[in-house]
Amino acid sequence: MKRILGGVIAVLIFIVLALAFVHIPFGNIDLAEYHYYNPVDNEHTQDSVPQHYLDEGKKETGSTNIVTAVVVDYRGFDTLGEVTVLFLASTGVGSIMYIFEKEKRRKVRRANAVVETASKLLFGFIILFGAYIFVHGHLTPGGGFPGGAVIASSFLLLYLAYPRFHAEHKNLNIAESLAGLTFVGVGILGLFLAGYFLYNFLPFGLPTYLFSAGVIPVIYVAVGVKVGSELTGIVDAMMGVRE
Amino acid sequence: MVSLETASKGSRFAYAFIIYLIIWCIFIYSPGIDLRHFIQEFSVGIVFSLIAAGLSYEHLSMRGLKNLSPRRIWWAIKYVPVFIWAMIKANIDVAYRVLHPARPIKPGIVRIRTSLKNPVGKLALANSITLTPGTMTMQIVKDRYYIHWIYVRSEDEEEAGKDIKGNFEKYLKEVFD
Repeated sequence: MKRILGGVIAVLIFIVLALAFVHIPFGNIDLAEYHYYNPVDNEHTQDSVPQHYLDEGKKETGSTNIVTAVVVDYRGFDTLGEVTVLFLASTGVGSIMYIFEKEKRRKVRRANAVVETASKLLFGFIILFGAYIFVHGHLTPGGGFPGGAVIASSFLLLYLAYPRFHAEHKNLNIAESLAGLTFVGVGILGLFLAGYFLYNFLPFGLPTYLFSAGVIPVIYVAVGVKVGSELTGIVDAMMGVRE
Repeated sequence: MVSLETASKGSRFAYAFIIYLIIWCIFIYSPGIDLRHFIQEFSVGIVFSLIAAGLSYEHLSMRGLKNLSPRRIWWAIKYVPVFIWAMIKANIDVAYRVLHPARPIKPGIVRIRTSLKNPVGKLALANSITLTPGTMTMQIVKDRYYIHWIYVRSEDEEEAGKDIKGNFEKYLKEVFD
């Protein structure tokens, strides 16, 4: 009985998936057949949003990496929201962990000598790599969020290297606030100079050069510093009071 | 802990900056990079190397610029073929033990000593031992290494040490101590 039921379910799942996959274009399909619905003019057209990004993205934003063009330029306001969400999450984790950890102090066992020495050695290199990732966000895969996460992981190494290490909350807050202010400040400058919040007002330069894409690298550096300091704050909160 | 001589802050900072700038150049290199690309990338690299060095020079080195003395670099270059040769030998040895039908293994953990003083030197020795197949560093306590060995030829500290460390220690002593 169970086997028959299982077989029926498997067949049903197969049919549903097959019906779903029928509509996905695999390989070469004539694009002219496809029509996209434009809700503003209430008509079917050939123009699609993804195709527009691919065709015009480099011209409109100056960014070689189209993903970054979308994340920081076309929907830059949304990215500002994401950074704010991360800030709230970091604050929340910090306050919850503070209540939990205030009473109990954890005894810390020293890590292996290999881990300690290697962590001290690699700390600076990982910071440099994180910086490389976020400053090249408009040219290569990566950007502010992964770069910031890499920087936070380098601080995690310091917690392994020194049993009593604690990140200076004051410095973290300063870095985070400055980065946030830079992001919002660039946005407001765009508002004043061109009439749009987060308008890309700097010269675009030539594609594939580091100094290109206008404000996108500036914003991504700010995002990288902000994400790095916030995640370091979370790591610090999770580590608790150690002695 | 052994007390180690510590160089001035300026020297340690300069050492970190130089090392990071070299690493940055390796990051940004790609075939066919032209001068204009390079100048832009390099100028940004100077800024980030300064920041990274400012954050981490205390953790990176104790001796500062003395690490870059030509003698140390020469011995480090000479160490590369020695290490690769040891690795080839160990690979063949482990492959023999895996493929042999009787499986001639006699695993165990041995303790050996090292005369290296510098923590980074100890780390390099530990990693060299781990990277050569058949031996693995499990723990370092002061100057004693605890090593898992695929075929324990000797349980004596002295003899096992000679067998496991091979030439590594001689070269690493010149590089790091």
